[in-house]
Amino acid sequence: MAELIRVEGAAKRFANGVEVFVHLDLTVIEGECLCIVGPSGCGKTTLLRAIDGVLPLDAGRITIGGEEVRGPRRDVAMVFQGFGLFPWKTVEQNIAYGLEMAGAPRSLIRERVARQVELVGLRGFERALPYQLSGGMRQRVGLARALAVEPDVLLMDEPFGSLDALTREVLQDELLRIWQVRPVTTVFITHSIEEAIALGDRVVVLGPRPARVRTVLEVGIPRPRSVASVIAHPSFVQLRDRCWSVLRDLEAA
Amino acid sequence: MSTREMVGGEAAGARRRLRAPARAWWLRLGSVLVVLIVWQLTAPLVNPLFLRPPSAVVSAFVELSRDGTLPRAILESLRNFLLGFGIALAAGLLLGIAAARWRSFQHLTDPWVAALYSLPSVALVPFLSLWLGVGNAPKVAAIALFAVFPILINTQQGVRLVDPELLEVARSFCSSERRLWLHVLIPGALPMIFAGVRLAIPRALVGMIVAEFLISFGNGLGSLIIVYQNVFRVDRMFVPVIVVAVMGVIFIGVVQWLERRVAPWAHREQ
Repeated sequence: MAELIRVEGAAKRFANGVEVFVHLDLTVIEGECLCIVGPSGCGKTTLLRAIDGVLPLDAGRITIGGEEVRGPRRDVAMVFQGFGLFPWKTVEQNIAYGLEMAGAPRSLIRERVARQVELVGLRGFERALPYQLSGGMRQRVGLARALAVEPDVLLMDEPFGSLDALTREVLQDELLRIWQVRPVTTVFITHSIEEAIALGDRVVVLGPRPARVRTVLEVGIPRPRSVASVIAHPSFVQLRDRCWSVLRDLEAA
Repeated sequence: MSTREMVGGEAAGARRRLRAPARAWWLRLGSVLVVLIVWQLTAPLVNPLFLRPPSAVVSAFVELSRDGTLPRAILESLRNFLLGFGIALAAGLLLGIAAARWRSFQHLTDPWVAALYSLPSVALVPFLSLWLGVGNAPKVAAIALFAVFPILINTQQGVRLVDPELLEVARSFCSSERRLWLHVLIPGALPMIFAGVRLAIPRALVGMIVAEFLISFGNGLGSLIIVYQNVFRVDRMFVPVIVVAVMGVIFIGVVQWLERRVAPWAHREQ
């Protein structure tokens, strides 16, 4: 399997001098979903923003397909923690946003938006404004907007973190289903070990600040998956315990 | 509390919610009626040079409408108002956006905006008439001067206060500068801009009346107040005052209606 994203010796510190990560190495294989878990404030979001090209590194480099990331790229799309929907745009217009920024022709935008609406299950809500939608529906729009540009890399920053447990599981299943229909290399950040195992092909555990990669776990549960099938899988408990023990040791240290 | 009571309570609550607006309207109407009746009954006790009853104001209104004085005054004032407000809107939006876009432009304008906004704008009206003569020009300028600052300041603040996550979304999707303004910054600033416009309306009306007081040329609504004061026609003095009040209510209503059409999300976001 070819590696698509490579993070080499990445370092970032905040303006106040706090080191977020000092020497971080990471690779993402083409077609996989890499989940990143770690204690809160360990720099998961910072790392993802750096991969997205919106935040320059202080040292080290990130390459996507061998090309160094120097700024935002059209083949990388982000799903935001707070949804990041434009309150003045309808569902359709929000989904079309990335395509419009890329200067796509009208006909293509219409066709892609219609397909995404169908894919994420938003039919009938095309003309709704975000305030009229529930949290789960809003993040469906956020996901559709990212997928509409047909990115090579999908970045997801705790996308279901603010949703209630039930909606969360529904959306995790939706995401697993969508990957089957439209596979895309994904980097998924979460603070939930269960979510990381359910969605990821590999799980990276980061340590506290300054963050380093502590463990990389191969999940090895075959797809197609559902959250229920993952939890019922014999290796699930063992994987979860291994993640936990790494995180617990980090706490103790 | 028993289940029956709770259900009953809920129904009563629903009825109360339905009734509440009606009740509010009765109270409002009642308040106006009581004041008018008291005014009508007590006015004859006062020297008619100082106060006339509402019935006399109504007949003054009819007279002034019939002989064309009032329509002419409304037309003159309204034309100045719309022109001045239009200038204020254009200047406020442009300067506000420019100040939000370029830090250095904001630093250039900051002292002037701060000085002119904190100064009572009335103090500048005599200068306007000195420089622009005694026609409509200084009156239009006065209206623009009174109205421009809330629009300018709110536009600038509105752009500044756009949710930073949305700016990140724009960057992440490789938005160009032009598209950033069209898709994110201007729509994001709209609720603040509308609030500024609503604040500017009463100020512009003050500017309109004050300019007509101070610049004696013309037959606008403010001029009528002075003219009838000089001849002790207190009944006629009330007519332009009421017209200006109604104008203010209508303008603000129009802006609120526009805002609900253009920015329906603004008051529903949590």
